[in-house]
Amino acid sequence: MLSTLILVPLLGAALIGFLPQKKPDTTRSIALAIAVSVLILNLVLGFQFNPTITGFQFAEDLPWIEWIGLNYHLGIDGLSLPLVFLNSLLTLIAIASSSKSIERPRLYYSMLLLLSAGAAGAFLAQDLLLFFLFYELEIIPLYFLIAIWGGKRRGYAAMKFLLYTAFSGILVLASFLGLVWLTGASSFDYEPLRTQNLAVNSQLLLLAPLLIGIFIKIPIFPFHTWLPDAHVEASTPISVLLAGVLLKLGTYALLRFAVGLFLEGWVVLAPWMAILAGISALYGASCAIAQKDMKKVVAYSSIAHMAYILLAASATTRLSITAAVFQMVSHGLISALLFLLVGVVYNKTGTRDVDSLTGLLNPEKGLPVTGGLMILGVMASSGLPGMVGFISEFLVFRGSFPIFPIPTLLCLVGTGLTAVYFLLVINKVFFGRLTESLSQLPKVRWVEHVPAFALMTLIITFGIQPSWVVHWSEVQAVTLLTGG
Amino acid sequence: MVSTKTIKSSKSLLIDEYIQKLEQGEALLQDSPQNLLEVVGILKSYGVVLDAYSVNLCYIANTQFLVLFPFFKYFNGEINPKKLARYIWQDRINFEYAEYCMKSMFWHGGGGLDAYVDSPEFLAVIKQVIKAKFKYNPFMLGLDKLFPDFLPEHMRQMAFYSGLGQFWRVMSDIFISLSDRYDNGEIKSIPDVVQHILDGLVADAARPITYTVKVKDQTYDIIPKSAGITFLMDTGVPYVEAIFFRGTPFPGTISYNAQAYQIPYDQGMFNYGALYADPLPIGSSGIPPTLLMQDMRHYLPDYLHEYYLHTTRGEDDLKIKICQTFQKSMFCVTTAAVKGLAPHPLDTQDAKEKQANRAYLTNWLKRLLESQLVKVNS
Repeated sequence: MLSTLILVPLLGAALIGFLPQKKPDTTRSIALAIAVSVLILNLVLGFQFNPTITGFQFAEDLPWIEWIGLNYHLGIDGLSLPLVFLNSLLTLIAIASSSKSIERPRLYYSMLLLLSAGAAGAFLAQDLLLFFLFYELEIIPLYFLIAIWGGKRRGYAAMKFLLYTAFSGILVLASFLGLVWLTGASSFDYEPLRTQNLAVNSQLLLLAPLLIGIFIKIPIFPFHTWLPDAHVEASTPISVLLAGVLLKLGTYALLRFAVGLFLEGWVVLAPWMAILAGISALYGASCAIAQKDMKKVVAYSSIAHMAYILLAASATTRLSITAAVFQMVSHGLISALLFLLVGVVYNKTGTRDVDSLTGLLNPEKGLPVTGGLMILGVMASSGLPGMVGFISEFLVFRGSFPIFPIPTLLCLVGTGLTAVYFLLVINKVFFGRLTESLSQLPKVRWVEHVPAFALMTLIITFGIQPSWVVHWSEVQAVTLLTGG
Repeated sequence: MVSTKTIKSSKSLLIDEYIQKLEQGEALLQDSPQNLLEVVGILKSYGVVLDAYSVNLCYIANTQFLVLFPFFKYFNGEINPKKLARYIWQDRINFEYAEYCMKSMFWHGGGGLDAYVDSPEFLAVIKQVIKAKFKYNPFMLGLDKLFPDFLPEHMRQMAFYSGLGQFWRVMSDIFISLSDRYDNGEIKSIPDVVQHILDGLVADAARPITYTVKVKDQTYDIIPKSAGITFLMDTGVPYVEAIFFRGTPFPGTISYNAQAYQIPYDQGMFNYGALYADPLPIGSSGIPPTLLMQDMRHYLPDYLHEYYLHTTRGEDDLKIKICQTFQKSMFCVTTAAVKGLAPHPLDTQDAKEKQANRAYLTNWLKRLLESQLVKVNS
């Protein structure tokens, strides 16, 4: 069952890539059909998943390269299920929002599906080395997706992304190898390694490279500089996947490996991590205020919002770990929506410069639906009640405040600043009088808004009924913290 | 300094250019087949809408006077569940726009009608009407004693309802007949449109504007024929001044802070009228001109609707396109008014008459150059 979540997009990528030249529409339709089928498989999996059981379900364990201790071991629990679902949903949305006239469609859609397969594999892997392989695998398609279909400085941004994330991978691998070496384990299997008792000093020694690697991926200040460049140069669908899925690999690794494998060491470092989260949140928010490019505002907003996950992970309470998982889902949905909408604005106006845009809410000549959705997205990101952002941030702060009050307050200021920088953008871009130069914009077809409406529906649904997501991860939060 | 001089000279050059055009029998709006199609088409739909506005304004003036809570004033006396449902569903003519125009006229004043409603004769009749209407209502009579200006002011407003209703009755007929003549191939250019409107205005220039109400079988001539209020000078000219030129600022089309004197203190310096309106914000809810555009879109002739469908965003920015065309048509009506009110025929060869005409036209054009005139001709 779990293998199909990896194999279907993987085979789909191969099918699209190696079949004879097709029309762009046909290629897109095949990619869409594959993405829809993966999403359906995910839904089936979600219904069959039992949230009351601790540990991994639907496990698949096959020996692979035994002499290096690598097994093809997959499993799913309350931590990975929401992220696997998010991955398949955002892949579908990325394909649906891709231009029909995109150049080299076969390579493009193959890379998208390969990326999806890599991310799914990383979320499902129960073998550290297998996780690393998938963690590295998704870098390749993403590099090409930025380098080939990106903006003017795509080469620079793609190379920077590659160097940073490859270095991140090396550090993660070093930590995993060190763990196996120090524990004397015979394989990289996750569960046996969790139960090994390592001295706190040894844990700290292994945690350091792991955390730096993860912080690059999330990214956390000061390891973040690749992200704004990558977002600005990436096309809209790639930004959606970058923010919605790729960054989650970092936070997933943080919970699964840093907290899951080195809990005692993590607790020692947690106060410093919480302070770093507060600084990162404020830094991201402050940078967002200073930006003139709408996409950079959303990118820096991501840095701020991802820091909340670090804060929640640092608190290591049942509530905060549950909140961290929920914040991942919440950020994935909201940032994907915001990037989609910025993409529509850019597509129609040819610019993302806040100073060049004004009055786009004009009901007849502007982009009123885009503007309306943007306002809703901004409300969700700012944590307004009734939307998923409110629940996730409330849970994060509620779960973290008793343990780390000062860093939590710093993050609370950061969330207040979210409203500031986004309202500055909304006010400049959407309100006021439409300028003459913007008065002949092409109209946005309803179909172009379907992905945004789908995300908005989920943002509101999970905002009103958060237990549909929370109940998946509550039990797993306890398992992570108790080693059970 | 150099730039200011340049601006001044280019302005006066533009004024000279327009004066020359008017003297040669042309209109303020450039003559082109596209402009002709747009103007005639939009005036047809405007004519239909004006007819409805006119009927409703006269209905309100004749039957809703001294009714302090006229809940069903837009129903023209026909109240049934079907009409009520349509009203609640907003599937109706936006009579609020007609009231907006009436209030604008009432506020800016000017002309014989405005002067007459402040006359002792008017007040004397009003007092009789109030007494008759509230003969068995001591509460209202007491209220009238306590606030003696309140009900007369209400009746002054009713006089403007009636005055504007009668004015639009004539204008509606002029625009519908223009469309019929265009369909018959008699109207072939923008100057033909202007001439048709001018002929209509001149034909009815002296038409009396009267207002009579009935209270319990007794009729009261609130504006009798003997008051000498006429169609053109007492309602037409104040209407053009109030609606085409001055208007009123309202949030949505402009942003202002009245306390910071961002709107002129003097009403005469207002330039928020139809000729100055910015078409881009049209379409936003709550903005009065949007109501007119909403109404007109239902009555567009097929050829104009077809034309709109193939330009810019098709149906999506229809109201803005209607507004832009409407402004074009209003420049034709303004041309007719300017020609009709000129001291001498504009094609006169007499030097003195020509000089008087030029002074007259310069005053008009100084105001018009600030409007959307240059834009619609660009």
